[in-house]
This record gives sequence, structure tokens and C-alpha cells, in this order.
Amino acid sequence: MALIKSPSVFRHSLRWNVSWLFVLSAVLCLFVADISIRSFDPWAELGRLVSGLLQPSMSGLDDIGLAVLQTLAFAMLGVALGSVCGLFLALVFHWRWIRMMCALLRAVHELFWALIFLQIFGLHPLTGLLALAIPYAATFAKIYAEILEEGDRSAFDVLSHQTGWVSAFFYARLPDLWQHFKTYTAYRMECGLRSSAVLGFVGLPTLGYSLSTAFMEGQYSQVWALLILFYLLIASLKYWLRPSLIPVYLCVAPFVISNDQTISFANVARFFTQDIVPSPLLKGESLVGLWQWFADLFMTQALPGIINTLVLSQIALVATGLLSLGLFPIISKQFFGRVGRGLGHVFLVVMRSTPEYILAFILLLLWGPSMLPAIVALVLHNASIIGHLVGRFSNDVRLRQDAPTGINRYTYELIPRVYGQFLAFLFYRWEVIIRETAILGILGVATLGFYIDSAIQEIRFDRAMVLILITAILNIVIDGLSRYIRNRIRLSQAINIR
Amino acid sequence: MSDNLILQLDNAEVRYPESVALQQINLKIEQGEKIALIGRSGSGKSTLLRLIYERLPDGTALIPQDDGLVMNLSVFHNVYMGRLSEHPAWYNLLNLMRPFAARVSEVGAILDKIRLADKCFEPVAQLSGGQRQRTAIARSLYQGGSLLLADEPVSALDEHQSRHILTTLTQQFPTMVIALHDTTLALDYCDRIIGLEAGKIVLDAASETISADELVHLYGGE
Amino acid sequence: MNTSIGALFNRTVVSLALVTSVILAPVQADDVKTLVFSAIPDQDESSLKARFGKVADYLSETLEIPVKYVPVKSYAASVTGFRNNQLQLAWFGGLSGVQARNLTPGSKAIAQGEEDPEFYTYFIAHHSTGLKPGEAFPKEIAGKRFTFGSKGSTSGRLMPEYHIRKNLGKSPEDSFSTVGFSGNHSRTVALVESGSYEVGAVNYKVWEKMVAEKKVDTDKVSLIWSTPGYPDYQWTIRGDVDATWGEGFSDKVQQALLDMKDPALLESFPRKRFIPASNEDFIAIEETAKAIGLLDE
Repeated sequence: MALIKSPSVFRHSLRWNVSWLFVLSAVLCLFVADISIRSFDPWAELGRLVSGLLQPSMSGLDDIGLAVLQTLAFAMLGVALGSVCGLFLALVFHWRWIRMMCALLRAVHELFWALIFLQIFGLHPLTGLLALAIPYAATFAKIYAEILEEGDRSAFDVLSHQTGWVSAFFYARLPDLWQHFKTYTAYRMECGLRSSAVLGFVGLPTLGYSLSTAFMEGQYSQVWALLILFYLLIASLKYWLRPSLIPVYLCVAPFVISNDQTISFANVARFFTQDIVPSPLLKGESLVGLWQWFADLFMTQALPGIINTLVLSQIALVATGLLSLGLFPIISKQFFGRVGRGLGHVFLVVMRSTPEYILAFILLLLWGPSMLPAIVALVLHNASIIGHLVGRFSNDVRLRQDAPTGINRYTYELIPRVYGQFLAFLFYRWEVIIRETAILGILGVATLGFYIDSAIQEIRFDRAMVLILITAILNIVIDGLSRYIRNRIRLSQAINIR
Repeated sequence: MSDNLILQLDNAEVRYPESVALQQINLKIEQGEKIALIGRSGSGKSTLLRLIYERLPDGTALIPQDDGLVMNLSVFHNVYMGRLSEHPAWYNLLNLMRPFAARVSEVGAILDKIRLADKCFEPVAQLSGGQRQRTAIARSLYQGGSLLLADEPVSALDEHQSRHILTTLTQQFPTMVIALHDTTLALDYCDRIIGLEAGKIVLDAASETISADELVHLYGGE
Repeated sequence: MNTSIGALFNRTVVSLALVTSVILAPVQADDVKTLVFSAIPDQDESSLKARFGKVADYLSETLEIPVKYVPVKSYAASVTGFRNNQLQLAWFGGLSGVQARNLTPGSKAIAQGEEDPEFYTYFIAHHSTGLKPGEAFPKEIAGKRFTFGSKGSTSGRLMPEYHIRKNLGKSPEDSFSTVGFSGNHSRTVALVESGSYEVGAVNYKVWEKMVAEKKVDTDKVSLIWSTPGYPDYQWTIRGDVDATWGEGFSDKVQQALLDMKDPALLESFPRKRFIPASNEDFIAIEETAKAIGLLDE
């Protein structure tokens, strides 16, 4: 018999303790992090920025209609391909090496995938398609596998043992999990749109192309016009993304993204046999030379990169958590009426659809270069995503009629009910935040991604590959850790929408 | 022993991480036997059924306590699932998209027997508890086979329906092991009664040798 | 429910099959191959398409073959496109040109702007630093917040880093409190103007243009030092173009560039006119890149 504990002793739950552990780790990171405010005259540039917002203008922008179509087409195809491949991977996700491979593929930011494929395929549509589909497939695999793991298996268990897996899956598993797959896939479609737009930053013909150009030029009227267009695209998603229309979109999309580029197999071969082979090996140096090359790369770039990445992402993760807990009520039926929620949605759409890079620049103007703008940009972006998801989840919570209101409702009724789900979302976001630290080189924060970008800009793909592998290993570790923590505090049972 | 023996358990035991679900189970099942399992909830009936299924997975139809249905599929598809293994995957997929007429008439015949034909293309999620239970029964009838393992298959049905269903099942399956809480039904439809209590077999006798009153204590006077 | 899943699945499979076939099938090639060229995106990217489109028309007319301009988004992308033969001709910076020619044997620099043999990088500083313009390298910038332009830029990265290392004796990371990469020259100016970074390195042509157009407040940010002259931008062409478009094709392209007199066209670069160039003109750049570790020895 188990010993019966005295009922009078109050004990905190495991997730309470874990939460505080994370907060503590972030506070410790704050001591290491460089956060300071050093700026003098942000107002001239900010003034230009605001006056651009007051008079957004499309003039001087070529082919915006086409860019919108390309953004949609790449997102649509990338997410579709990713979800189909992800589904297959999910079926074999219990194999350890598949899990590791997916963690590895997820570790690399879409922008880096695009930069790598630019090297191999040039501006062929495959570049954008694969840059989206590969990391998305790996993410879909993980989430789909969890949905499968948590789904009801009773119908599956009743089947005759001779039943083939295809029939068994389509009859006994998929129909009841379909709604979960659909909800998650629709959510990823929004992410896909963002990613697709951002791929324009590296030269794909999507909205990000003109956006980054306008932004780099300080053409803020154009920047805002493009951003508003993009917000509208995201906000109207549920009106035009109808299941029955998806096949039509998928049929049209290939024609939208196809162009006259061809794939040169010599380039593909060269990439694998020369570009990514460590340069000491290519030059025929000894293993000692190779080791020195690696040790130098590790000590001067990888190690400081890992430290900066971890410090930055740990602080951003915890701050994201805190802010999302504050933000989710603004779109929750439990707290606000139609109008209030509408405003909340507008705010969250704007925050999560503005590329972190642009948020970071605005904050950089305000506060000067340090980790602070990077942290705040990451936090605003990610907290508005998690706030959105938790808020939606909270709408499904049924409260008794006489439930308290205001802060009591928040602390006694809502937080205990959504906290598990909230932590689950946050842990998913952990690796995303790590990946996103990559693109904030403008702030002078030397994360792993900063060094990967440098290596690619210097056309040293051998170095980039080593750094990408190190990033991937870091991601596998983080993935394992979050898996472990989630199992310990059993968040998985709560997962409904993501 | 005769060649009719299909299963023999010698001192079998099933453990869960924290507890023992079944112990000292000695049991022989012969072809043609209709066995009722009775006992309070938690006495180990479901575990025993599961154990038997694990030993004899081939040619066995199973009706689990929770029905094992796919909520978003129609009654037709749920019943059809009894014979998935008899068709190639592509055929099953086509049938999922658009049911084949031949299969519909097969399944329809079974649904007629249990009076569920009017619900053929309704999603299971929209059915009542009793209708769901009959869907699971229809699936086992459609699947057929030599052995039926059923866990409280008629718990949500009225007595009239229950008798009708049990008659149909006993006609279809040569051998069956059914967990039942209605001792009268157990005695009427089965020829052998096995009583379980706290994971052990406490009674194993032919139906004609015992009365309903004698079985009452196994249910704690329910 | 079930039929909708089935139907959707069905249609999705068909669509995906279609996707694969359309994407993998290249568009029919023209009879005469199109010459594709590009330019590094170092400044004033907007309406590049319109402006370089005119250059394409000029070349097409002069060379009597189809010529197309393709915009690229980064220095590395232009080098890669050139190396992969997706571009046969490119307007490179000093460093990107060296990188491209090293990776593409046989390619050669054929023309440069009249200004390019003597190009400059300006160091600009926020007024709060109190730094004044001078002839000598401003050693007082040590310890300040410093931003380069793009990582692959000659004027925004390579040459300023070279002079920083030479005069301060340390790498930029060790010389400054923070080192940023703004992305391009106009961002550098904006960031130094706001005081986010105290000092920055910028292409002199971009600076002068911004000052002339009053896009920068010179009370807040001012020029403090100019590097000595170095060779920068140039046109580079692949070595195998003669095999594609006939013997002497690269000479024809060179002549077409040198003959470009229309100020409207030259404004795209912006250069007064083009003069001949050769690979040897950029040896100094290559040596500098090797010295600071941007190119392997």
C-alpha cells in the first residue's frame, strides 16, 4: 500500500516547479546577456517610419499582384507537400533515426534552406518549394505523430490482425483524427504564408522581395503598404482557405511558380562533391589540417554562437511565455465581447505577421544594438502566436454560469485550465525561437545563425554545413529535453489544437 | 484432451505496473463452447478477454466494451471494417471514397438483422449508445470467424433487443466468450459460466448446474 | 464526413502529381540562347528592374541577341548565379567579382566605371562621438559601436575591415564594443544617424547621393574619414560565352559596354562611363580579402 500523505500539506504541482525553473534560468541568462539601451536620435528615422504608415503607397512597386500570387502559391504547395510527406514520416516516427532526422531538418531556418537550394537549383521553383516543404514536413511529422499517439486506438485494436496498414490507417485512425490534422494543417498554412513571404528576403519572387527592398531603401510608404497587404492576406485566411477550394489552388499554383530556369545536374553534383566538402580535404591536407580547420571553426564561431544562441533564446522563451499569458485574454470569449476581441485579433495579426527582422530594426533604432531589441522582437512575434493559440483554446473552455469575472476568472478558472496547453505550445516554440535567433545579425548578436549566414555570404558552404550540423545537434538536444519535460508533466493529454 | 481444444491457459497471470489484474488462471476452451464471464466491474473480465484475444488473434471477432468504433465514419464503413483484411488496400480506399454496391448490400443484410438498416450511412458520432453497440455487433457479424469475444455487448440494449442480438450471435459464432452482467441472459444463452472475483476464477460450471440466484453473490447483490 | 475525406484525398493526390510534372518540366528554350545578366544589390534596389531593363534592351539591340536582366537579392546569390551559369554577365563589386572569378575558371573582368579604379569607403560618425573629419585614420573609433554594410560588400565590409585591422591592430570584434552588419549602405546611414551605431562604413557614392538628395541629416551624422582609393565595381563575363554566342562574343560585349554613352543608362550604375578592366586590376582586392580571412589562401 502506498503511504497516504497528510492532506493538510499544500504542494505545488510539477508544472509549477518546472515553470519557475525556467524563469530562474532566464534570470540567470539576463546576467550574462548584453542588454542595454544606447541610442540618441531615433526620432528622425522613426518619424519617416510613421509618416510612411500614415500614407502607405504602392507606387514604385512592380508586379505586386504577381508577388501576392507567388507568395500564396509557394505557401500552398510547400505546406501541401510538407503535410503529405510529414504524414508518412509520422507513421514511422517511432523509429529513433526518423525522429533525429526530423529534428535535424527542423533545426535549419527556411531562409537557410533557401540559401542552400539557391546554390544547388538557382532560382528554379524547386528552391522555394523545398525550402518550405522540408522543414514543414519535419514539423508536420512531429505533430502528426503526436496526434496519432494521443488518438483513440480502440477501433484500430479491434481490426483483424491480417489487415494491411494502409486500410487500417485510413479506416480506423484517420477519420477520427482528421479534425485534429485539419486544424493543425490550417494553422500551419498561416505559418506557410509568413515563411513564403519571408523567402523573398533571399530572392524568391514573393512579397518579401519587394518588402525587404523597400525596407532596405527606407521607402517606408511602400513598406507599410506591403505589410498591410500581408496583414489582410493573413487575416482573411479563413475566408478563402476552404477545403473544397484547396485542390483548385493546388492545381493552379504550379503554373504560378514555374519559370524558365532549368536544373543543372552538374551544379547539384558539384554542391555535394565540392562545395560542402571541408576545404582542407579538397586541398588534400592531412587529417591534422582538417582537425585544425574544425577546431578553429568550433572555437571562434560555433562555441560563442552556441552560447549566444542559448542565452538569447532562453530569455526570449520565458518572456514569450509571460507575455502570451497576458495576451491571450484579448481574443478570448471569456473576457471580451465581439469588438474587444476584434481589436485583439488585429493586434495579434499585426504582431505575428510583421517579420521579426523589421520589428528588430525598429527596436534597434530606439534602443541601439544589444540583445534587447533581439529579445523583444522575438518575444513580440512569438507571444502573439502563442497568445493567439491559447486564446482560441480558451474559447472551448466551458465555464459554469456563475463563474467569477475579471481577475478571479483569469486566475481561478482560466489559467488552471489552459496552463497545460499553454506549456505545450511554449515547448513547441522553444526550438522555433532558437531557429529564429539566426536572422538577427543586424543587431550584432552573434548567434549560430549569424555565423551560418556569414559562411553562406562568404560562399563557404563547407563551414556553413558544419555550423548547420552543430545547430541541428543543439536542436536535437532541445527537442529531447522538451520531450522529456513534457512527458514528466504530462502535457500531452491536453493537446487539442496547435 | 480432444482436438477440439482451442485454448489452454495454465496458471496465467496479467500484471499492470501497479497491480495484478489476473492471477492463477487455469482455463481450457473447446470449440463449440458458449462461455459467459460474470463478475463485478474490476474483477478481471475485460482483462481475461484481452488475454484470450492475444492468444487467439486469428479468426476471432472482438466486441470491446467501448465498441471500438470510428466516430466520424458511417455505420456502413464501421461494419465493413470487419473484413478490411480480405480486400487489397486500393479496394478499401476506393470503398472509403465511394462504397461499392456489392458491399453495401452485404452490410445492409447484416444491418437488417439487427434493425439498423436505416442508419447505414450515418456517422456513428450521431448515434445513440444502443445504436453504437449494435454497430459494433454488426461489425463482428460481418467479420464472422470461429470465435467471438464480446465485452458486455448488450449493456445498452433493452431485454427484447438483447435476446434478439444474443440469439443472432450464438447462431453465427460456433464458439464465444461473452462478459455479461445480466446473469439470466448468461444462463439462457451460454452453456458454461465462469465467475471472476479480484482477478481469480471463483466459479467455472455448466449453466444447467447453477441457478440465477446462486450467481447473484458474484455481483454483490446487484 | 467520410466521403469528403476520400474526395479530398483523391483530389489532393491528383493535384500533387500535377505539381510535380509542371515544376520539373522546364519551359521550352528559345532558339537563340538568352544572355542573362545581373547586378549586386548594393544600393537603391527599388525599380532596379525598370532601370536595368533599359540596359538589357540596349545590350540586346547592340549584340543582336535576347538579353535579360534578373534581379538578385544578395552578393552571394549573384556570385552563385554566375558560377552556376544562370548569369553569364554581372556587375560585381570588387570582392564579389574576385569570388565569382575564382569559382568560375575562364571568366574575366571586362569593364569598369571610370570612377571604379579609385573607389572610396567613407567612415561616418554620429555627432555625439565628437569625432571630426581628418586625414589620418580616426583611432578614437576604437571601443565604439560600429556597423558595416553587407557581409559580402567591398566598400561596406572588406576595405573598412582591412583599414581597421591595419590601424587598430585588432579584429573588428576586438576593436569595437558592438559590431553590426546593417545589410546595405542606406541602412548603415540610417543606423548611424539615429545613434544606434556610433560609427559606420559606407560606399562613398551612396553617401554623396544621400547627402545631395537630403535623405540624411548631416548635423547628426558626418563624414570623418575616407579610405585611400581602391578598385571596386566591374563587369565580369563567363569564359564560355564565346562557345555559346560565337567567337569574339565577350569582346563584343566589352565594346558594347564601353560604347554605352546614354546618361540615362549610365545613371543605373551610377557611372560617368565605362572603361576597360582586367582580372589583374583586382589582385589587390584579392590579397586584402585573403589577409582578413574572407577568402581562403
